[in-house]
Amino acid sequence: MEQKLSLNKKRTTKQWIQYSVIAAAIIALYLWTFIGIDIRWSRVFSERSIDNFGRVIPQLFSPDWSAFGKVMALMWQTLQMAYTGTLLAAILAIPFGFFAASNMVKSKALNTFSKWALDAIRAFPELVLALMFVAAIGPAPFAGVLAIAIGSIGMLGKLYCEVIESIDMNVVEALEANGANKLQVLFYGIIPQIIPEFLSYAIYRFEIDVRASTILGIIGAGGIGTLITIATQNRNWDEVGMILLVIVVVVTIIDTLSAMIRKRIV
Amino acid sequence: MMNNSLKVELYSKKAKRQMSLILIAIIGIYIYTSIATESSLFDFIDGWSGFERVAKDLFPPNWSYAPQVWEYLAETIQMAIIATTFAAICSVPIFLLSAANLFPNKWIHQPVRFMMNVLRTIPDILLAVIFVGIFGVGVFPGIMALFIFSLGILAKLMYETIESIDLNPLEAIRASGGNTLQVIWYAVLPQVLPQFVSFGLYVFEVNVRASVVLGFVGAGGIGLLLQQQVSFFNYPRVMTIIIIIFIAVVIIDYISNKIRERLV
Amino acid sequence: MIEFKQTSLVYPNGTQGLKNINLKINEGEFVVIVGLSGAGKSTLIRSMNRLVTPTEGELLIDDDNILAFNQRKLRDLRTKVGMIFQNYNLVKRSTVMKNVISGRLGHTGTIKSLLNMYSQEDLALAHRSLERVNIAEKMHQRADQLSGGQQQRVAIARVLTQQPKIILADEPVASLDPPTSHQVMTYLRKVNQEDNITTIVNLHFIDMAMEYADRIIGMRAGEVVYDGPASKVSEETFEEIYGRKIREDDLVGGQDDE
Repeated sequence: MEQKLSLNKKRTTKQWIQYSVIAAAIIALYLWTFIGIDIRWSRVFSERSIDNFGRVIPQLFSPDWSAFGKVMALMWQTLQMAYTGTLLAAILAIPFGFFAASNMVKSKALNTFSKWALDAIRAFPELVLALMFVAAIGPAPFAGVLAIAIGSIGMLGKLYCEVIESIDMNVVEALEANGANKLQVLFYGIIPQIIPEFLSYAIYRFEIDVRASTILGIIGAGGIGTLITIATQNRNWDEVGMILLVIVVVVTIIDTLSAMIRKRIV
Repeated sequence: MMNNSLKVELYSKKAKRQMSLILIAIIGIYIYTSIATESSLFDFIDGWSGFERVAKDLFPPNWSYAPQVWEYLAETIQMAIIATTFAAICSVPIFLLSAANLFPNKWIHQPVRFMMNVLRTIPDILLAVIFVGIFGVGVFPGIMALFIFSLGILAKLMYETIESIDLNPLEAIRASGGNTLQVIWYAVLPQVLPQFVSFGLYVFEVNVRASVVLGFVGAGGIGLLLQQQVSFFNYPRVMTIIIIIFIAVVIIDYISNKIRERLV
Repeated sequence: MIEFKQTSLVYPNGTQGLKNINLKINEGEFVVIVGLSGAGKSTLIRSMNRLVTPTEGELLIDDDNILAFNQRKLRDLRTKVGMIFQNYNLVKRSTVMKNVISGRLGHTGTIKSLLNMYSQEDLALAHRSLERVNIAEKMHQRADQLSGGQQQRVAIARVLTQQPKIILADEPVASLDPPTSHQVMTYLRKVNQEDNITTIVNLHFIDMAMEYADRIIGMRAGEVVYDGPASKVSEETFEEIYGRKIREDDLVGGQDDE
């Protein structure tokens, strides 16, 4: 028999079955998605949409400068909320990080439980947390701050844990060999090694929290988002344009500053 | 021997002053912002009865409500799938154009990157608000918002990956007479394909979480139910929805992580 | 005085670290332990401040069996036994001074040490220790800005600040180049003579062992296979200890540049 040359290598039967199963799963997933999704195309591309498009987009690009003062005041509140929430989270995440780190707490059960708790927190979108806090204490920036504070613990705790697990344990041994007790080892051997990274991650999280805080107001949890709801309800798209501009500029500035500070710290 | 008049300090004066200043600034700003946003410990104590009330009302969850939730959960996931798929496809030309090692001309990669950077600063829910304003309430504006937001993230992750690849194969193909498209097809894409799929899955995770809340502004998905039930004060139902969201997100993250671990 | 009495150590995984060691090390001696890697040098050194704990026999320091020590007594022991490591083990992001003052931790109350409340005597002692290894001008720099040899000198200063009766040095020059190695060994020798501190050093360079030691102890497979004054040691002795011919890389070479 003459062997046919082919660019791709021949696959075994087992590989063929594997590939077919994966392909079938992907096809099934997409069939389920596209059959299930309910897009009302007639409404999406109705005359009204085209009208709206022609009205909304130009207004978005001609921001209403008379709203600038109002927008900046609420942006300022947004930054305050992000700062308060991030700082709280940066502190509250420390015990989680230590309990989750296997070189600090020699209990597999406690490590796993802490890691699980951190993952659980990360599963909740901040806006869902904010919705619950608004239900509890009414529409106020405090609800947003709490949502940011709780929501950020998940990521920060996990990153802290990684930092702690990567420290140089020889230093700890050296201090123990000096006759230092556990607390002294913590303050002289461990904390100096972790502080810069902890700070850097907290600042990084602040970037994320500034973005998150800009939208909390949409459900009444304070900050510039409050204005978004009002402006869209009144169809003041030029004001939305102003809000958009302020968010883009402020977020970009915060990102740049934060990257600069973080570069210096580590 | 040391001079007796010399006072030895643990830290230099400059370092001491710097550390104190930073510490005072961090605490000072915190005190100011926590008062300005009414988020101090006192406000926490004031609000305690509220937390207690809601926490109590949330239990036990109302499981008979669960069947009504599925449909919306499915919609949430479908939105994320569609948006991620189209963003992945459309991001290919964008990240190729943003990679400085493929297109060294800064008049090509800089403007593309700039646009993507701007896009990424706009929160997805804000995009959803705008699209709802244009297209009306429904899943379409939600998908559009997720699509645009994912485009920004994917493009950034991918062009950074491309800029870190091994350049030797590119040179080899160029040397044997390959044009830019052939270089991309034979030397670039094979190197970055695993990362591309991995980032796609990551963006899908992000999109599932995001599409959970898009319903708050009328852009489809499970968020609509959640907000409705909160405004009706029907907390046992709220808890049911929250638990379902939680389980769905955890399962999707888990599967996605397993696949990504095997890829890279 | 340090005394090993039929001391053995078996690690939890079954490896025999030390096999029936009998040794007496007198006050003020400068002892170098030689042997191939894995011979048990490190285990021997680390058992003297109980970083590892022998499983059989006795280990007496100043007539106390340290194997029976509880946590409190162990900390007291470690306060008077200083240790120097191959990789210096400084806190890289802390300043030199903060690293050196951490030698006082065993002598300082917890609260005081956490608030950095050190007496002027302690600070002066730390400064003097730095002066003794000629590195006082770097006191406010971060440890990671120093070269390897400088970091090891800071580590010596840290141990001096501890005012120990015994110094253990576990391969203190293994990460350094020949001139710097000689410098570090010279400082160790100087401290040993000036303060009469019993000093026990692990080395695997035989020329260095012969140059600096009063007494050389050879180890192989967890056992002491040679013990005698440095003056009586020859290349043949080392070939016996190592169980093979001496090679180029067993010698550090280079001359003392001090």
